Amino acid sequence: MTFWRQVYEIARKDLLVESRTAEVALMTAPFGAAALIMIPLAIGTDAPLLTDLGPGLYWIVVLLFGILVILRKSAVDGGPQRDLVRLLGIDPAARFTGATIATSLLVLLFEVALGPVLVALYNPDLRGWPWLFLILPLVAIGMGLLGTIASGVTTSLGTRTSLTPLLVVPLALPLLLGATQAFEGLQLGGSIVPWLVLLFAVDLALAVSGILASGPLEEAVT
Amino acid sequence: MTMIRRFWLEAAAVLIVAGSLFRSFTVEADVVQGDVQRIMYVHVPSAWLAFLAFVVTMIGSVAWLRTRNRRWDRLAASSAEIGVVFTGLAILAGMIWARPVWGQFWTWEPRLVTTALLFFVYLGYLALRRAVVDPVQRAQRAAIMGIVAAVQIPIVYYSVNWWRSLHQASSRNSIDTPLRITLLLGVLAFTFVYAVLLRRRLELAHLEEELEARRFEASPDVAGAGITAPSLAKANKHD
Amino acid sequence: MNANPIVSLENVGLRIGNTLILRHAKMTLEPGEKVGLLGPNGSGKTTLLRMIATLLRPTSGSGEVLGAELGTDAVYDVRHRIVMVGHLPGLYPELTLGENTRFVARLAGRPLELADESLAMVGLAGASERRADQSSKGMLRRAELARALIIEPTLLLLDEAHAGLDAEAIGIVDDIAERVVGAGGAVILVSHEPDRLTVDRSVQIVDGTLEAVS
Repeated sequence: MTFWRQVYEIARKDLLVESRTAEVALMTAPFGAAALIMIPLAIGTDAPLLTDLGPGLYWIVVLLFGILVILRKSAVDGGPQRDLVRLLGIDPAARFTGATIATSLLVLLFEVALGPVLVALYNPDLRGWPWLFLILPLVAIGMGLLGTIASGVTTSLGTRTSLTPLLVVPLALPLLLGATQAFEGLQLGGSIVPWLVLLFAVDLALAVSGILASGPLEEAVT
Repeated sequence: MTMIRRFWLEAAAVLIVAGSLFRSFTVEADVVQGDVQRIMYVHVPSAWLAFLAFVVTMIGSVAWLRTRNRRWDRLAASSAEIGVVFTGLAILAGMIWARPVWGQFWTWEPRLVTTALLFFVYLGYLALRRAVVDPVQRAQRAAIMGIVAAVQIPIVYYSVNWWRSLHQASSRNSIDTPLRITLLLGVLAFTFVYAVLLRRRLELAHLEEELEARRFEASPDVAGAGITAPSLAKANKHD
Repeated sequence: MNANPIVSLENVGLRIGNTLILRHAKMTLEPGEKVGLLGPNGSGKTTLLRMIATLLRPTSGSGEVLGAELGTDAVYDVRHRIVMVGHLPGLYPELTLGENTRFVARLAGRPLELADESLAMVGLAGASERRADQSSKGMLRRAELARALIIEPTLLLLDEAHAGLDAEAIGIVDDIAERVVGAGGAVILVSHEPDRLTVDRSVQIVDGTLEAVS
């Protein structure tokens, strides 16, 4: 079985399991939406203020609540399932890539679900919105990669749900900066290409370290 | 081991720290900020150490993955423990400096922000180590996280710098030579202190492991050893 | 027999954290053999089984499984020839029994029809659409044994071989073991019920070493 076929099967399985629990669509996304509604109640509902801060708040919610996508049940393989996948002879790099693709797609789903909420509540300036077709996936891929690495390292630990966010959030900062600055650049009419390059660089660095770490990661968990 | 061999590093550290302290207090104060600026001689070297310590953690992590020799894991862990202290110190010094000079505890200056983030990376790394019971698993997982984090940190630093340069004219004025020398002396002093602490911590870790290994050899906890055939008759004797 | 042994452990030590599972363990498993692994609770049978499955590396000594040295990358090439049925089910709870077995078939590069056929062979044809988290323990066990039928392993490892299986199904274990052995493979069965095992010989973990049981 080829590498990419294995990647496809793993991603497909992860997404199939997620479709049964529908955790991201029915629980995490509404939670993110609730956060976006609550924020103005705390900082003020002044329309110009919200238009100004809206995009930044959206990305913060994507970053912090996106961790819940990483922590979802369907991303967690129990011991016997991990043994099964290993004994089926799946290349650890293929398992890593498949899991990352599944998580990234779900983070993207989360981003897309919150989009209308942002537009409705905050009335942001959406100049240059076609670029979002690039920005959203780049951030989603970065979160997917960080999430798969952090999940791998915290597998079967009792404090996993607290530890994973702590590991992910500081390292996800360039994703946050890249996304918010690219957006701001669009509004000011400046160049956003450097920020896109930053997002791409982050994703590339994570992809390389993640794939290289995938073998040792599998061996790390008894 | 002769006294010199045992304590040469400490002796050198004491000398350099003394020299650095003396210099820090006698060099002329900054024209604008006055004496409070001297805390820069603690803040900047601490921040430098925070990064150096993590680089050492990364080196230990890579070496562990390649050799699976526990001493490299000890190096990574020890450096992280010392690094988190220096990172905390750097942040604290930065805050003490900022308050009188700029009127607030935090300035969103790139180095301070990245040092704060590095602090959280350290906390995460150490929390991960604490959460894993088996030493080999702990070494493996921590090594992976150490390397991934170390690769990301330059990107984080770069992105924060870039972001700040767009929003704020660089607040870094060029430093006069006498101040620069003092700063370098401070960096050197802190590096020696780090080396002393690292060496001691490594020795301690090594001894801990030795002790554990000897204990294990003397009376290993063999799986299933404490488990005997159950007997309810014995239990009922308490009635 | 001039064929290479399927499992060969030489002076193997295995330590997890502060617990010593094995020391100076020696074992050889030849093609065509069925071996029982006995021992009281907590003696490390499952851990030993996982080490033989190449999922754990020995702390000392050397071992070979299907020609691959334990603890090296060579194990990646032989894992697909090993099936281990652990005492917890290796199935995805949210997926149906059919989906679980088809997943295995696809990843093992076997035809999809074989997945449904193997479920039928273990008597679960009618439960193919049942979710794993809604199936009984015995059903899950049967579904796992179906995996052995799909993959046709050279080395079959069964932990708590008869656990959860009803009278009808217990015979499946012996039949599947026979199949594997008949094709030149070998089987290790862990059990707490040695009388129920039909094996050629048995070993037991005693104070970290493997001793033959008469």
